[in-house]
Amino acid sequence: MINSRMWLVVNPTVGLPLFLGAVAVGSFSVHVAITTNTTWVNDFLSGREMGSTDAKMAAASTLDTAQAAEVVIDRTAAGEAESAVITLEDGRTAKAYFSEVKTASLQ
Amino acid sequence: MSDPEKVFPTGLTLSEAEELHSQLVDGTRIFGVISALAHVLVAVTTPWLG
Repeated sequence: MINSRMWLVVNPTVGLPLFLGAVAVGSFSVHVAITTNTTWVNDFLSGREMGSTDAKMAAASTLDTAQAAEVVIDRTAAGEAESAVITLEDGRTAKAYFSEVKTASLQ
Repeated sequence: MSDPEKVFPTGLTLSEAEELHSQLVDGTRIFGVISALAHVLVAVTTPWLG
């Protein structure tokens, strides 16, 4: 059988754990990557319909955009945006302050 | 290399090395078949691969 002679120079007590360990580590890391980069595995483990979290998140992001009902920007006399008041449809507000515009000078 | 009784540096003879290797290849084939079956089932029953 091809390659079988490697066991004449590679000790099986070293080569077999190395081979089986490489398979185990490789497959485990691939499966960890899938569970941490997708939502449907967690859906399944939590008893939800697989893919429902993705759909919910997509719907929520659309809703957030719609909820930003009004944005009023306060400007200085020069026209620079100083601050802004964001009013959501449910009445909650948030105020944002913008940093000053930095201009380079050679003086 | 042709002497079947010769003991090599790892302490194995050629026939022992061939037997060990055939077991390893068989195990890899069985593992491959089971994992291929598992991947087909996952691809059919989950959103994996879209």
